[in-house]
Amino acid sequence: MTRRFFSRIFVIFAVFFAMSASAFADNQVGKAEAHIDNMMLDLQGFLDNDSDDIEKRKKNVTYLLDAYFDLPLIARFSAGAYWRKATPTERQTYTDIMRQVMIGTVVRNFDQLSGLEYTAAKSTAKGKKLVLVGGIFTDKAKTKEPVAISWRVTTPEDGAARVMDVEIENISMLVTQKNENIAIIRKNQGNFSALIDTMRSKINE
Amino acid sequence: MNLNMSTNRYIHMMRSQLLIVSSLVIFAACSSVPVEQRSDVRDTYENDNRAIFDFNMGVDTYVIEPVASEYRKAVPEGGQTAIAHHLAWAGLPSTAINSTLQGKYENAGLAVLSFAINGLTLGFIDLMGDDATPIHKEDFGQTLAAADIEEGSYLMVPFLGPHTTRSLTGRVVDMVLNPYSILDAGAPLQTWQTARIPATAVSFRAANFEAINDVKYNALDPYARTRSVYYQQRNGLLGDQLRGDGASSVDDEFEDFFGDDG
Repeated sequence: MTRRFFSRIFVIFAVFFAMSASAFADNQVGKAEAHIDNMMLDLQGFLDNDSDDIEKRKKNVTYLLDAYFDLPLIARFSAGAYWRKATPTERQTYTDIMRQVMIGTVVRNFDQLSGLEYTAAKSTAKGKKLVLVGGIFTDKAKTKEPVAISWRVTTPEDGAARVMDVEIENISMLVTQKNENIAIIRKNQGNFSALIDTMRSKINE
Repeated sequence: MNLNMSTNRYIHMMRSQLLIVSSLVIFAACSSVPVEQRSDVRDTYENDNRAIFDFNMGVDTYVIEPVASEYRKAVPEGGQTAIAHHLAWAGLPSTAINSTLQGKYENAGLAVLSFAINGLTLGFIDLMGDDATPIHKEDFGQTLAAADIEEGSYLMVPFLGPHTTRSLTGRVVDMVLNPYSILDAGAPLQTWQTARIPATAVSFRAANFEAINDVKYNALDPYARTRSVYYQQRNGLLGDQLRGDGASSVDDEFEDFFGDDG
């Protein structure tokens, strides 16, 4: 009798914890999806009113990056293990330049997004802190192949969701940037400031 | 007559493979770079690879980029898509053969079915529809990977771009196994087979025109960026990843960054 009672209690607790874990994952995925939905609404608004005014485009892109992306985390990830070796000043300088590089990249390619329609696709939780939110960009004129996109969104329990990475056709932009940055540092005997110099000279080109 | 045809076919096959064989000879003469001097540990011949990359970029600047630019202006986007479909269709026999070798019989069957049905339009129009089960592209490099053959070093091949030792070996075998090469095909088909590599290069360059230009003209280190994209794309193929299926070839990098709880 006692044994049966304890086994029932165990089953009830197991079901409760399984449901809690499932609810947490649902909540985590929902939070990430809502974040991307909001960002896409803002993006669509900017695209609808886009013109050749580069300054206005730059202002819109800056807003999107600051409001929806986790720039400090992106900077830390993209420096790889060399982040730990960098001085606080180098870290801050690098983060600021990284932000400028990202803004420049998106501004340069912003008009490629016009004429595309975004549809949400499957989202997958990647552990407790990340969700891969899937989507497809389809050409409204149906002349180009659809492009698969995934947003890697951080979902801290006590904070807002933020985009950390964008994968286009399974190619991670952040990992690509990280590999490129590490290549530059390694080619310069592990000198972190060489990366900053390279980025700075590229911006000034 | 038959002797002539056999000789022509042999010459044609030799010509197709000459590029790759000469590349292998070049790499045999390459000198390896000490690990601590490489920008990526997988890049054993980095100095030579970078020199070949510069050469390929020169070919792109003076030949492929202008041709692709004109192609984009001259051929409507629908036509470009049809040509891209045709080139992908021509690769289906290789996918069927390699899927079979890897025991992926369903994928092999789908590739044969798609090749047969879309063959009605020579692959220019996809008759299988958007809801058809997606086909995983399989090549002999992937077959070698499935047989646990080591990936080898990263190689930048003249005209052909990034490979690994394993994928380059696979490419040679794929060319030998290609039905166009094996069949006693007529002159027009042989001409088209010879034109496939440059046609694929131009079609790919045109389809990714802005993206490739962004790497070429705006990347901090275009060589390192190309290498990173190649490995991610290749690992995606090896993992049979499909677009939007929730899998990612770089999940490990993020798990390492955040710790075990991801």
